[in-house]
Amino acid sequence: MYRKQVRRRRAVLVGLIVGSLILLSAHFSEAESGPLHAIQRGTATVLSPLESVANVALKPARDAVDWFDETWEARGENEELADELAQTREQLVEAEVANAENDELRGLLGINKDELSGFGFTPVAARVVTRTPSLVNATVGVNAGSGDGIEVDDAVIAADGLVGRVSQVTSTSAQVQLITDPRNGVSVTVAEPNGPQGIVSATAGEPDELILEFFSNDDEVSDDQFVVTAGWSDPTTGLSSAYPRGIAVGAVTEASTGDVDFQQVTVDPFVDFQELTYVEVLTGGPERPGVDP
Amino acid sequence: MILTPWINVRLGAIVLVAVLLQVAFFSYLSIFGTSPDVVPVAIAAIGLLGGAVVGAVAGFSAGMLMDVVLLETLGVSSLVLLSVGYLAGRYRESFEIDSVFAPAAVTGALALMAAAGFTALELTLGVDTPVSGAIVADAIVKGLLAFLLAYPVYPLVRRSLRSALVLEEAPARRPIFRGRRPPVRRRRRAPGSRVRRAVGGAR
Repeated sequence: MYRKQVRRRRAVLVGLIVGSLILLSAHFSEAESGPLHAIQRGTATVLSPLESVANVALKPARDAVDWFDETWEARGENEELADELAQTREQLVEAEVANAENDELRGLLGINKDELSGFGFTPVAARVVTRTPSLVNATVGVNAGSGDGIEVDDAVIAADGLVGRVSQVTSTSAQVQLITDPRNGVSVTVAEPNGPQGIVSATAGEPDELILEFFSNDDEVSDDQFVVTAGWSDPTTGLSSAYPRGIAVGAVTEASTGDVDFQQVTVDPFVDFQELTYVEVLTGGPERPGVDP
Repeated sequence: MILTPWINVRLGAIVLVAVLLQVAFFSYLSIFGTSPDVVPVAIAAIGLLGGAVVGAVAGFSAGMLMDVVLLETLGVSSLVLLSVGYLAGRYRESFEIDSVFAPAAVTGALALMAAAGFTALELTLGVDTPVSGAIVADAIVKGLLAFLLAYPVYPLVRRSLRSALVLEEAPARRPIFRGRRPPVRRRRRAPGSRVRRAVGGAR
């Protein structure tokens, strides 16, 4: 009797492990249009109302936790803010002098709905309803999908700047791969006339900072400079960036020259991904070669 | 654990609630730079109460649900969580759980293992970037948070599955009479009347 139980237990375990491995390899190797992906999207569509209800129902609890968290942080930040205020007053005077330069920066950073519409984008507002607990896979789920005109590779923005891009879509929901996901790279440019270009990407395990790698080793930047999406497109090679040009990404927090012969640059994203509640998905837009329609 | 259809429904409900709580609440929290993971905690509790097979099946189901809801690669979470459920069940079958600390400690260790396993699998599946040492700290903090979460979650799961647990002690009956029991008065039987016998002993 006992041996039979042990055999049954082993059989179940082996069956489940083999099942998981088959699922994993089949899902990983098949195309987005494959049957497993289709079943997954179908099931996710069925479950998405449940996720939305859970998200709304648990919002008071999240707000309560946030309130405690923010109150705790605010106590520590009070003195720091007083010092920063004094520094900001000094910087205000300097900012007046650099007003002319700001006009150009505003042109790069000031992406608003009218401008996006001018480029052919139609922003679709969506609420963040799910979030991965992993540091490696930095993704969120939003409650708008292909039924709202969202497609894979659409750029996603928030009030503070770039959030990421749509990586999977169902009829009622979409998965957004954040720019802090190590699998995601964003082509950017430093917000200055003829600013150097490069790619920002995250390091697995460090979700609060991005690493900027320049295309040219001679390029250099200084602290506090802004970084925006480059939005390049090359019809000859058939490649282009998934992100439109000029969306704010973050600010340079550390630009150092170490032992290597190029500058190591750390970028602090403008968007607070932990507090992300509403986003806008930029649907439509101009034809971008290499980006799936 | 005695698995009846009603208990299976309860197990499914526990898994569903844990997954929904994770994606809609716990993933939003940031404690020491990471978010608590309640799903391995719930699966470890099921394994500790139901044994290896029940734990493994529950872990596999929870992983599938997580991957479907988050539109992630199918099979990754299933593989990790079925290991959590199975190992928790094996612990229960091998050792006596006679303190509150043991389930929490086992859950913390298994959650640490799950976080490390999940990260290793994800990194194997094509994350081609440098890896920070902070990822180790993340797994350790997740284990510690799971240890703390096990204190409320384990009793809740045990309470939900109480009717199916073989070794669970029946609640003590409250005595009807406190102190000395009064003498039983026997009624006199009327001549010619039939005697009723209670099934299962005298009342």
